Amino acid sequence: MKRFTCSGCSLLCGDIIVQSDGIFITEVIGACLKGKERFDQVNAKNRITSPLIRKNGKLIEVSWDEAMNSVVEIIKKSNKPLLYGFSNVTCEAQEAGIKLAGKINGFIDSNASICQGKFLNKAKSLGINFTTITEVINKGDLIILWGANPAETIPRLLNKLLFSRGKFRMTGREIKTLVIIDPVKTASFRVMGVRDLALMIEPDKDIELIRMLKEECCSADSIPSEGVAGMDQNDLKRLLLHLTGAENGVIILGQGVIQPHSDYDLVEELLDLLQLINERQEKGRISLMLLGGHFNMAGFDHVALSAYGVSGHLEFGGNQLIKTKDDFVSKIEKDNFDCSIIVGSDPISHLPHSLSSKMAKKPLILIDNHNTATSQIAEVVLPTAITGIESGGLAYRLDQVPIELNKIINPPNNLPSDEELLNQLYGLLNQGGSK
Amino acid sequence: MEFILNSIRKIDNDQVKEHAFGTEQSLEEKLAICFINSKDFEKLNLVSSLHLKISNKEKHVIVKVKKDDNVPEGTVVMPVSIWSNRLSLVQNNELLYKNIVVNVEATREPIMKFKEIIQELLVK
Repeated sequence: MKRFTCSGCSLLCGDIIVQSDGIFITEVIGACLKGKERFDQVNAKNRITSPLIRKNGKLIEVSWDEAMNSVVEIIKKSNKPLLYGFSNVTCEAQEAGIKLAGKINGFIDSNASICQGKFLNKAKSLGINFTTITEVINKGDLIILWGANPAETIPRLLNKLLFSRGKFRMTGREIKTLVIIDPVKTASFRVMGVRDLALMIEPDKDIELIRMLKEECCSADSIPSEGVAGMDQNDLKRLLLHLTGAENGVIILGQGVIQPHSDYDLVEELLDLLQLINERQEKGRISLMLLGGHFNMAGFDHVALSAYGVSGHLEFGGNQLIKTKDDFVSKIEKDNFDCSIIVGSDPISHLPHSLSSKMAKKPLILIDNHNTATSQIAEVVLPTAITGIESGGLAYRLDQVPIELNKIINPPNNLPSDEELLNQLYGLLNQGGSK
Repeated sequence: MEFILNSIRKIDNDQVKEHAFGTEQSLEEKLAICFINSKDFEKLNLVSSLHLKISNKEKHVIVKVKKDDNVPEGTVVMPVSIWSNRLSLVQNNELLYKNIVVNVEATREPIMKFKEIIQELLVK
């Protein structure tokens, strides 16, 4: 029995006990539902263990040589390849993906760009602090979930943040206040106690709450007696007291807050509010934490930043990094790509139909370990080992802390890791000469 | 009737879980589904044998419907999936997964199959 780090979500829990003989995993202790599902994928019915090529509309098992040659052919015909995904792979594979994008003059982006990436970049530019899980455990006294439901997305996050005792929080839960702002009474509401504050906001009224809080920060008693956005005046006063009086507060943001609006930028307004509160704070501060689902959602930015000094997407021309006005969404919307290489992601399920239908009309190469909606439309599918179980490497936890993942068992059919496969592809293209 | 659609992650209706089971039937069982408040359920004259047709300017989708009083009135919640993403939008170059205005109506039509959605995407 050994301790391993779980790659079921971006919390990367390091206390999972696994019993294995090196060939089979016989027992997994301490994993949450998502972690257990990750381990279940090893023997799932839809696991892909051989390369596949679409022939006469059907995916057929082929040899590695045939599949790799087919991929090279598709890439050679392409002038504007789009590389996407890279949140369910290690940093080493992300680095290999960026190297490949440079080789084939492609545009590369990760899932983070449609999730936490935009928020992260705006917060960085404003100088808003991000905090770590350890800091919240040891010093946190206020945890606000705003449009976030970790009980169902990062199941063990609240165990760690809310229920743990820390160095300066010896009484643990008793000294930590939980505030939830959400239009839906999610599973996270079930952990609330008497000292906590549940704010059921009316759908799409976050902007009213943010602007009222900003106003109240500047002039007291500006909260209308009827409340704001469906929330009670007294509850809002409590919220403001918590925000301005916390020693070490954290706002955990989910997709609910990152949604776009045509007439205002909710992210900017929220970051303004945070700056205002932190200016008013006399003894403490409020920091941010972002929730990302995939286990290495945070990694791509770090890798891109260290390789090219740019966070987020990268575009190459003449095998050099070039400036681009496009992002992942605009690339697809404008049909500004002619093939896509998807790594460890299922954009056909996750993107709006208007974008996935455009993606489905161009040749698509999928590198993944199981069947998905994306594999149903792929021209070639290249299977890989499951990271964190059948291969190892580095990943960044949701609070931007690097964590090492280890191999537990060998993959079926000696499947390569994502990193190995991307490097093989790079090598093959190198042999065929630069584009 | 006009509703607001919110697509959210639900651990019992999550893609990852379904990948572990790995069948189209399990995907349809867990993801071709929506949740509405019991008061809305009554207003729409729904019974357990009926499905819900949810549509907007983009597309429509037909899914099973379940009562859930944790969902506010006037809101329909769907787990994030290929079904919900028939209705999600691109707005100002950003993706809109929540607060989408939709029309909902009870229907006897069968739920939309996974293969049906894939076939539609494959039409070049």
